[in-house]
Amino acid sequence: MSQAVMTEKAVMTLEASGLTRRFGDRVAIEDVSFHVAPGETYGLLGPNGAGKTTTIRVVCGLLAPDAGEVTVAGLPVAATATEAKARIGYVPQEVSLYPDLTARENLRFFGRLYRLRGQELRDRVEEVLELIGLADRGDDRVESYSGGMKRRLNIGASLLHRPELLVLDEPTVGVDPQSRHAIMESIANLGTAGMAVLYTTHYMEEAERLCDRVGVIDHGHLVAEGTRRELVARVGEKDRITLSATGSLALFAEACRRIEGIEQVDTADSSVHLIATDGRRRLAQVLAAATVTDTSVRSVEVEEPDLEAVFLHLTGTALRE
Amino acid sequence: MRAAVALAGAELRRVARDRTFLFFMVLLPVLIILLIGITISSNEQIRVGVVDTGRGALSSSLARELADDPALTVESLDSRADASAALRRSEVTAAVVIPSDFDAALRAGKPVTVPVLVPGSAESSQAALTAVQAVVGRHSAAVQAAAFATDRRLGSFDQNLGAATRLQQSNQAVPLRTEVVDSASNFLPLGFSYSAPTMLVLFVFINALAGGAAMIQTRQYGILSRSLAAPTRPRDLVGGEALAYLSLTVGQAVLSVGIGAVLFGVDWGNPWAAAALIFVWALVGTGAGMLSGTLFRTPEQAGAIGPAIGIAFGMLGGCMWPLEVVPPSVRMLGHATPHAWAVDAWVEVLSRGGGLTQIAGYLGILALYAAVLLTLASLRLRRSLVTP
Ligand SMILES: Nc1ncnc2c1ncn2[C@@H]1O[C@H](COP(=O)(O)OP(=O)(O)OP(=O)(O)O)[C@@H](O)[C@H]1O
Ligand SMILES: [Mg+2]
Repeated sequence: MSQAVMTEKAVMTLEASGLTRRFGDRVAIEDVSFHVAPGETYGLLGPNGAGKTTTIRVVCGLLAPDAGEVTVAGLPVAATATEAKARIGYVPQEVSLYPDLTARENLRFFGRLYRLRGQELRDRVEEVLELIGLADRGDDRVESYSGGMKRRLNIGASLLHRPELLVLDEPTVGVDPQSRHAIMESIANLGTAGMAVLYTTHYMEEAERLCDRVGVIDHGHLVAEGTRRELVARVGEKDRITLSATGSLALFAEACRRIEGIEQVDTADSSVHLIATDGRRRLAQVLAAATVTDTSVRSVEVEEPDLEAVFLHLTGTALRE
Repeated sequence: MRAAVALAGAELRRVARDRTFLFFMVLLPVLIILLIGITISSNEQIRVGVVDTGRGALSSSLARELADDPALTVESLDSRADASAALRRSEVTAAVVIPSDFDAALRAGKPVTVPVLVPGSAESSQAALTAVQAVVGRHSAAVQAAAFATDRRLGSFDQNLGAATRLQQSNQAVPLRTEVVDSASNFLPLGFSYSAPTMLVLFVFINALAGGAAMIQTRQYGILSRSLAAPTRPRDLVGGEALAYLSLTVGQAVLSVGIGAVLFGVDWGNPWAAAALIFVWALVGTGAGMLSGTLFRTPEQAGAIGPAIGIAFGMLGGCMWPLEVVPPSVRMLGHATPHAWAVDAWVEVLSRGGGLTQIAGYLGILALYAAVLLTLASLRLRRSLVTP
């Protein structure tokens, strides 16, 4: 990021540049740079082991990078940078709460860590309980909560001090659809309320729904970045055709590759993914190829470009296996 | 600092909610102080019943001497039947029946026996018998002296007896103390004033080791690493854990002192010396507890192995039985544990009336143990926080 840009724009809520972190020989992340503007929701999208958590832990000062630096609201983040940390709300991937204390007690504890006290602390605890919809269960022990309730409290514990930057590491993993919906809703509300949000996920829909901008991370590298529109434009106006089929898929794939306008073919267990320009018009030829290669097609789906397609295009692998 | 207090507060709140831990902290020490206090409690006064059927001058002087003996608490009974009843109800451990012909026989120089009634299980009456025998022996020595003088026509029997008794009183014989049970030891503290402080030493340590489980859980729950994302430094968290364990150990010690004083009438001696001892021992416990929290991998390990180590150290260190009764080599080995030094210091304070100056050496040694344990534990905890 050049000096000119830095001074031109307002101070970024989060500025990460050239982050590299190794664990022994394994490079978890390499030269990862991105920023989050005030009020912006930024999604880090990547499969398991891509380096999302590592990036997040470096951003929050929990892990020292081997190279690169992070600033939050212009303040450098490091293990001892209490000023910067006071502006971040960190929601860890695993629920990190005292199961044998109540929600209120947990919130009071974390509030104290974030330097709240007295009436302000009490007020914030009640406000947050209200916000995460646990006001009526506030005096129950956390161990008696459902997975979704724990997740909500896990988020709530990071909101008490009204952070400028909320960092969430896969906050919806292992949550039923209803709770997931509620969680996404409240994060969307926080975003519109002006909080900057850094959100990691391997769910495409979440990134599409929540995030103003998305960074695609794979094998420790940030391979693309931009708004959904920008990312889709990178792939070109291409459609994605998914066929679920049985038979000699390899032969079928080979036949598809020879069809004009089909740019990429991937086969999985019992499905074939195609990237095509103007997909709907190629469909007849694709089905003909299936007949020729003695492949029986059970269903066909044509999708307009989305992040899943972007991901496939960028990394050559599907996001979810 | 505020973060440290917050963490300590949360940890203590969890412990206070843990029924098992409360049982070990409160109820078990009471039970064990009681058990051990009673087993080694020969220091208590022995209750004996005395039935004076003779009612002569000599028999009543014997009854008086029995009553005056510092080792005995005498209950006057009216008849042999009353004595049997008192024995059955365990109100007395032995009953002395002075026969009706006691005076006459002694004056005539005839032999006389004094029956002492003991219950069927005579084991516990041994101490009573010994004490009674001492008094009766002293009494009959005076009678013999008087008979001897009278025989030599040196005055009347009664005059001579009076003179002999006075002589006996002015030349106090060496009083017997039931404290000595073993020829190798010259001093053996007994009763609750031994069991209460040793149980304090034992339980503060055991519960601290078992309490290591709380810290392991806190780590496992991800609380500590999450806390580092807050404006909290590793040293705040180390300080918070130390504060939690110090509160626990001081609490356990103060509780033991209270239980000892209120339930068992233990006099804890010089308050400054006792307070100083409690504090350094609480520090030793804090270090041990935190070390347990960093050494063991699971809370279950800390909960099971911790107390076992605590009990072994307690045995070696003289918390279960006085180290005076074990061979010198074992006694020396025992002093590798901090327990032995703490117990020695408590014996000094409780049984010999020692003050701060008398136990300064012990305090120094214990402070050294505390410093080593605390440093080791803090370094380990810090390291586990900083490099994930
Ligand atoms: N503490 C560690 N020690 C060794 N290797 C690690 C450590 N943490 C992460 N890694 C490795 O770094 C890589 C990135 O892991 P990371 O947890 O950042 O991925 P992720 O994108 O968060 O994955 P997930 O979706 O499964 O949470 C992985 O290969 C992982 O094995
Ligand atoms: Mg992760």
